[in-house]
Parts: sequence; structure tokens; C-alpha cells
Amino acid sequence: MSFFGFDAMLARDRGHSASAPGFGQTPDAFAGLGGGVAGDDDAIDFEDTYDGLGDGLDETDDAFNDDTFGGGPASQQSVGKDFDFAGQTSKIAHTLQEEQMLYQTQQPPSHQQRPPPPKPSKPARTGYESYHDPNYIPQLEARADIWGLKPKHPVPAKQPENQAPPPPQPAKKMMSLEEVEAMIRAQTLQHEEPAPVLIQPQQAQPPPLPVHPHQQVPHSQPHFPGIPGQGQFVPQILQRPQQPQQPQQPQHAQQHGPHQRSGSRHQQVHAELPGHSVQAPPVHHPTILQRQRPPPNEPSIQQHRHAPPQPTAQRPASQPRQILQNPSRLSGQGQPMAQPGPPASRGPAPGHSRGPSYPSMVVTNPEQLLHLSKEEREAFLAEDAKRAKRNHKIALLSKDNGLMTPQDKNFITRIQLQQLMTATGNLNEQTPEAAIAEDFYYQVFSQIRGALRQTPHQPASQFAQTYLFQTNGRYGPGRRHGRGADNHMQRMEQQVQRAVEAAKAKPKAKQLTIEGSLGKISFSNSKTPRPLLSMKRPESTDKQPSKPHKVSVADRTETLRNIENVYMTLMHMEDHERTLPAPINQDSDPEAIQRHMEWRTKIETLHKKLWDDIKIMEPINPNPLTPHPFIAILSHAKGKKAIPRIFRHIDEQERITILTMVVIHLDKLNVVSHGIATPEEPLSPALRDEIELFLHSVVPPLYAHIFESPLNIIIGLLGLILERNNVHVVARTKIGMSLLIMLISRAELLKQPPEINVVDWENWTELYNRLFDAVEPILPLIFPGSINDTDDMYVWQFLAAMGVGASPEQQQRLVIGVKDRVMETVGVSKALPPEMAGARLANVNLFMRAIGLDVELLG
Amino acid sequence: MSGEPNKEESDDNAEPLDLVRLCIDEVVIVKLRGDRELKGRLYAYDSHCNLVLGDAEETIYITDAEEEGDKVRTVKKQCEMLFVRGDSVVLIAPLESIR
Amino acid sequence: MLIFSFFKTLMNQEVTVELKNEVSIRGTIKSVDQFLNIKLDNASVVDELKWPHMSSTRDMFIRGSVVRYVHIPSATVDIGLLEDATRREADKAKAGTA
Repeated sequence: MSFFGFDAMLARDRGHSASAPGFGQTPDAFAGLGGGVAGDDDAIDFEDTYDGLGDGLDETDDAFNDDTFGGGPASQQSVGKDFDFAGQTSKIAHTLQEEQMLYQTQQPPSHQQRPPPPKPSKPARTGYESYHDPNYIPQLEARADIWGLKPKHPVPAKQPENQAPPPPQPAKKMMSLEEVEAMIRAQTLQHEEPAPVLIQPQQAQPPPLPVHPHQQVPHSQPHFPGIPGQGQFVPQILQRPQQPQQPQQPQHAQQHGPHQRSGSRHQQVHAELPGHSVQAPPVHHPTILQRQRPPPNEPSIQQHRHAPPQPTAQRPASQPRQILQNPSRLSGQGQPMAQPGPPASRGPAPGHSRGPSYPSMVVTNPEQLLHLSKEEREAFLAEDAKRAKRNHKIALLSKDNGLMTPQDKNFITRIQLQQLMTATGNLNEQTPEAAIAEDFYYQVFSQIRGALRQTPHQPASQFAQTYLFQTNGRYGPGRRHGRGADNHMQRMEQQVQRAVEAAKAKPKAKQLTIEGSLGKISFSNSKTPRPLLSMKRPESTDKQPSKPHKVSVADRTETLRNIENVYMTLMHMEDHERTLPAPINQDSDPEAIQRHMEWRTKIETLHKKLWDDIKIMEPINPNPLTPHPFIAILSHAKGKKAIPRIFRHIDEQERITILTMVVIHLDKLNVVSHGIATPEEPLSPALRDEIELFLHSVVPPLYAHIFESPLNIIIGLLGLILERNNVHVVARTKIGMSLLIMLISRAELLKQPPEINVVDWENWTELYNRLFDAVEPILPLIFPGSINDTDDMYVWQFLAAMGVGASPEQQQRLVIGVKDRVMETVGVSKALPPEMAGARLANVNLFMRAIGLDVELLG
Repeated sequence: MSGEPNKEESDDNAEPLDLVRLCIDEVVIVKLRGDRELKGRLYAYDSHCNLVLGDAEETIYITDAEEEGDKVRTVKKQCEMLFVRGDSVVLIAPLESIR
Repeated sequence: MLIFSFFKTLMNQEVTVELKNEVSIRGTIKSVDQFLNIKLDNASVVDELKWPHMSSTRDMFIRGSVVRYVHIPSATVDIGLLEDATRREADKAKAGTA
């Protein structure tokens, strides 16, 4: 309540006044538009269809989300750096320009029929005022030429009033869709708005005359009392006629240019004209924001396209359109700019004013209406209603037009360009090297899995070979029994088989008979072996190594760092290998030779670094508190996986060094020291994975080496195992046993050649006897699982390998040691399906045949 | 190169993510927003802390509001291969090597 | 670029995208950009009873920032290669900042 008792409420704060003078009988064009849904079209209101799901997204703590992921302005710089938009794009700029040219030549003729667009006469309000900061999205400014537009020179902010229309621009000016659209709209709007025609001479230049209809707009306020803020705009509205009429096209063109440059002057204009949006026809405002016309606009455009062009008519419409966009630019948040229409018709839109603004200024003022005859008035009002409805419809169709800010669009444009670059591969100067560096995983992956075969990149192929080569080690511990492990087991089995076959050829096995070995045992009584066979079972704990000290965090970190260094060096070597220059000969020019020399030097340096990185030459502390650095590397999965790759790059001597190192520290390897399983205490799944990984990544390269080693090396290695390790631990683990199998069976095969070094052979026999004596007491314990555990093939292989080299007396002891297991397995097999039984019996038979027996003989 | 042993091991240019790098192919614990925790083998990460974890086990801690005693119950889920968006990540820590 | 590169190899793979609002959507990755926005085809909400209003959506665009997890079939991942790619990326990032 005001002091004087007048209603001090602003007009915009009141509801629709039924007593508004001169407008009471106005048909309410929006009566059917309650809830913001247009009654007669299919436009769907966002608020009605939004399921609210997005509200549930917990983005409360996402303060840095945009910083991190490039959503917000603050991150523009960093985002830009990431993919070098400017740098790469500049290289294809001319391509884009060609595209532009092409497009221009293909412009529909209708565009050419249009009157040539005049130049801007006044600083246009492009809607980019909020982005006038020169630092804002600098890439875009720098790359304006991508769009085939010359950077605009700033137009003076102040222009003389009533400036005559500037000379038309040459028609070659390329028009964007939005420009065309806006122009059509401007024309059709004029065409569809006969009402102003009644009172406003179409052809008249807008002089700053007080009688100009636009200046009377303030008086029309009572007609739409519900429109908020209308009263505030009087001063601005009065200014409007002072602004020269101008066609919108050049202003649109500015959008495609460097917004930043024109930004500052726009800002000035902007300050002068706050809130003009309310009075502008809604039809035009959204389009100004658009670089690409969204589909929802299509209908309205089609609708207008049929309207005959009215060159002069477009002028009055253009001005409000420009003004209209300001509010959204003020917000800077990409919200649609226009005020909603009468609030009742739009429904609540908290935080957003997505609806169209309703035109008010085109409607004449009440006084004018009063002067009209009744018919004229009715005709006018009907027209007015029609027009308003149409405008509303158009507004609904285009209500989402402002949804994306210029910034958003820049963003999308960049993505599109970026993907264009990726899709077209190494366009222009982009080297394959750079492409692979950027996109390593995808490129190599595609090579490996064959997706990119049609466009083979030479370097990528080499990469692919690298990773195909290490296929064995590719799968993590989660995937058991990789191909490598299978291959390895097969080869080991073959070698044992060969050793067994070779041994059978020798006469000594003949000494063994059932009677001699198993004959005295009552078979039917196998579950209660005779007491005379009782063995001295060693305490299973007495010889186990004390659990190693828990690795300290510092040591662990150090080891991990060592491993990562190894990988880095490996990758450098693999990269360097790909740059191997062409082979040289004596005729090569000095430059090529020089290149080759440099290449050699580099690979040698890397080789040396790799050797240092694996820490293999660190001194061996005989009684260490912490494991040797190299052994520590092997305790990590990725350390194990590196071994096959390391073996590719090192020479024979170095391979022997690694093999020796592993053998010396065999019982310090975590897969061995923790690898003893008993039926009561099976290994943890994680440890089983580690063991499998060791078997299929570390063992094969070692095995490949042992497979070709001469006897003296085998002797040396077995000697190291016996001297430096707890054989009981070694022989009770899968890894330790595998190594023993390799050594023994290799030695057996080396026996075959005619020339046998007698000294070596004596050495070997001595070592074998030591091994046998060490293993014999634990023979009943070497099976890790119960009788039903089928993963015992390697144990039988070990027994077979031992049996082949054993003397008859040793064979007897061997049989005694594992007799129970043999009988149990045979017994269990009888209850198994034939296939499984066959497999298990075959394992047993491998051993039996090694000592000249056969399970068949056991009945 | 071997002559400059402190070249790559000096902590002078150590960055926080260098520690994460050491955890490649190691089992890590990842704490996430929303009372979640992941344990899995780290296969990939980037500077945004986007992660790819293998054999991941997710633990969700749920506090039942109705009960006064602040009862926290946990829900566990398994996933063989999981991409984790970095903006959820709170911390990444190595799990001590498996016993 | 590493994760983008990674996701490109998941094109046409069936994944489950878990959003930060607990909705899980299963579908085939049809495209992805470097902000890890994802377009899913044949999408279906995993717990349709809980989110019945989502059930009619078949193809969808998911803004990267609302993603919490993407469950991936492990057979489509080359772990050794991915780890090396990660190392390269880390090296590159470090070289860039140093």
C-alpha cells in the first residue's frame, strides 16, 4: 500500500487486469495454452516430459567436474591444450575453406534472388556479449578462418542516428542457414503482421518521431499487464527508433567471425538496452544464437519460406530480434533468453525462462484502437489474436533454440573436428608416429584384432607384432592356463616322454620286475601298507624356510619403481627397433652409415640400461633380510610378465645369468617359498594365479634355454639348486619341480649321444644321487593335493624323470616312496569315467614306464 | 645412462600420479564418493583418475537411517572389468602384496 | 586420450553403464567422444522394476559426467597392451609438464 492509497504495484506485478482499458474485449489468444502446452500443436513442454531423473544425479560435489572434464569455462584452456585443436585444425583450414567455397557454389538459387544483404550499419548485438573477454576460447578466434569468414573489423560502437542503409554487400557473401532462416522469418513476419500496417507505413524509415508506433509501445502496457518488467523498458523503447534500421544478415555473419572482437562494443550496446527482450517478437530471438539450425525450427521455417520476400519489410523486425537475445547473454549460462509469455500460460519454470516472450510492441496502443471503427477494431483484434497465436506457436517450436550457448557450440564443433581428424587419420602433416602416440591403445589393438587391416600402418604393424609376440604373457593372472603354459607343459611332457623312451631302450630297466618292486605287496591290501615299508617321514616343518620378513613398504615401492623403469626401457627399445634404418653395405653413403651407427649406439645404450634396470647384477647377499632386487621384481605379476620381453633383447650370456639367478634364488621366489600345498592347506587362489603366471611367463624362456644347454650347464644349475636351496621346499612346489624336471630330463637326453664326457657324466651322477637322497624322504609329500586332485601330472613327470636316471636300487626306493599314491590313483581311476580314468592312469604310467613297469601289470 | 643412476629415481620431479603408476598391474584399493570402495587390479589410469580395474570387487557401505545404532551394512558386487570415471575417485592406494 | 582410445575399442560391445544416480543401463556402445559421452543402442535399464519410466528408451546418449562405472566384458580388453598404453600416456603427460 502506498502512502496515498494508490495502488503502487507495478503493472507487471499485477495479474491480468480485467479492467484494462481498451483490451477487455480482446480475445485471449492464449486461453487454450494453459500449462505451457500449445493447444493446437504438438509441441511438448520440457517441464511436462522431464522425468526428474536428472535431479537425482548427485552432482553436489562435482565442483571440479568441469575443471577436470572440460565442461566449464575455467577449463577451456586446459581442454584446448589436450587435443591441439588450433594446431591441427589450422593445418586443415584450407580444406575447410574449399568446402566452404563448394558450398557457396551450391547455394540454392533462391538465396541469390534475395536482395543483397546490406552491411551492418550499427554494432549488432550478436549475443556473445558475455564472451567478450579476449582470452575467452582463444582458439576459436584464431581459427575463425575455418569457417571461411574473414575476421571482422570492429565497427564503431556509436553510429549516427538515422543512418541511411549502407550499400549492399556483394552477393557472394556466404549466408549461413541461420541467416537465411532469420531473413525469411523477418520477411514473413512482416507479411503476417497486417496489424502494424494499419498504423505504420510500411515503407517509412523509422525517424525518431514521437508518433512512431514503436514509441507508443509503452502505452500498450495495460494490454498485457501480466508481462513482467514491461514498465521498466520505457526509456529503452524510446531509444529504439533512434537506432538505425538494419538488416540482420551481416549481424548474423558476425557470429561466425571472432566473437571476442566484436564483444566489447556489443557490451556497450548491451548496457544501454537491458531487458529489451520482452518487447521483441519471439520469433527471431532464438535464431541468432544458432549456428546450426536444430530440427525443431524446421516447421516454422518451412512455413515462412513460402512467403514472398519483402525486402523492406524485414527491417523493423530485425531490430527487436537483436535486442531479444541480450537477456540470455546476460545470464551467460546458455539459458534461453526470452521471458515467458503470460505466466499463467507457461507454467512455472524455476530458474529458467524458457518460454517465448510475447510480442507487445507490435500491437498498437489503445488510443489507436479507440480511433478505429468497430469493424476495423474487430478485424484488427482478430488479426492480432491470430498473429499472437502464430507467434506463440513459433516460439514454442523454437523454444529450445537458445539451449546451447556459443560456448557449447564451440565445444561441439571442436569435438566434431577432432573426430574428423581421427577418422581421416594422419591428415596432412600429422605423422603416423604422432597418431599412434595419441591413440596407442586403439591403433595397436585394432591391428592385433584385425579391425584396421584395410589401412595398415607400418609402425602399428610392428607394434602389433610386439604385442602379438607376447601373447603368452598377455593375460593377467585372472585367466589361467594361457597358451604359453599349455605349450610349456606339452614340451616338458614331450621331453620327459623322450627321456623315458630313451631309458627304456637301455637294458638296465629289465632288472626291474613286478616281483622286484611291487610284488611283495599285497595289492588287495593297498590301503594298509605293511609296516615294514614305514618311512621316516620328516617333520614337514623342520626344513621349511622361516617365512621371509614382510617386505617393507619402501622396498616394495622400490621394486615397483624398478619394474616400471624396466617397462619404460623396454618400450623405448621397442620404439627404437621400429626406427631401424635400412641395412647398409659397403656402397652405402656415409650418411646412411652414420645413421646406422647412431642407431646402433642408441640400442646399445638402451640395452645396457635395460640390463641395469633389472638389477640382476646387484651383489648377492648370502643371508639377506630382503630379497635380491631381481627376485623382488619376479614377485610381482608385472615383473614376471616382463621376462619374456626382456629375453628378446638380451644376449645368450645374459640369459644364462638370469637363469642362474633364478636357480640360485629358487626357494626365495614367492611362488616357491609360499608354494607348498598340502591336502589340508591348499594354496590360495591368488597364489595359484601367481604360480600359473610364473609358469607361463618366466618358465618358458628359461626352459627354452635349458632345452639347448650342454650337460655342463645342466650340471652347474643342478649343483646350484642343491647348494643354495632348500631342496625339500623346491621339490614340493610346482615351480621348483618343473625346473628339476627340465634339468633331469635334459640330462637324460644328453646321455644318448655316442660321445659322452665321462667327467661330466660322473659329476652328473653324483649330483643326481645327492638330489635323490634329498628328495626321497619327502616322496610321500610331493603330491600337493588329495587323491582326487587331478593337477598332479607334473609330479608324475618328475617321478618319471627321476626314475629314468635312477639306478635299480634307487628305482626301488622311488617306488616304495610313492607306492601308496600309485595304488590309490589306480583305485580311484576304476571308479572314474573311462576318459578321466585314462588320463590319470596315463600320468601314473608315465612314471611306471620310466622304471620299466606298467599300470596294466597292477591289474 | 647407467652412469646417472639418480636420473630417473630422484624424487625431485615426483608427481602424485607417479605413485599410481607404480600400481599398474597391482591390486589397489580405490575409495569413491558415495561410500563406495573398490578392490581390483589396476590396468589403466589417466590424469583425471579415470581407471580400468580388473576383477574388481565393489563394496558399498550403507548406513540404515532408521536404526539408531548407526548400523552400517555392506553390499558387495563383482565385476571382471570395470571402467571407473575419475570424478568419483577419492583415493587410490596399493594393497599390500597378496600373501 | 588414453581412455578415449580405450573406449574406441569397445565400439559395438555390450556394456553396462552405471550412473551416479544408481541407474544401470545395458546397451551396445555405438559411439563415444573424448569426454566419454556415450551413445548406447538397444539400451535397457537393468532394474526395470525400479526405473519403469526408463524402459521405453532404446537408444540413448549418456553424458560422460554422470557415469560412475562402465562394466566391460574382459575378453575385449588386451590387458598387457592397455598397461603399456597407460605407461606411455603417463610418460607423455610427465614429459609435457616437465
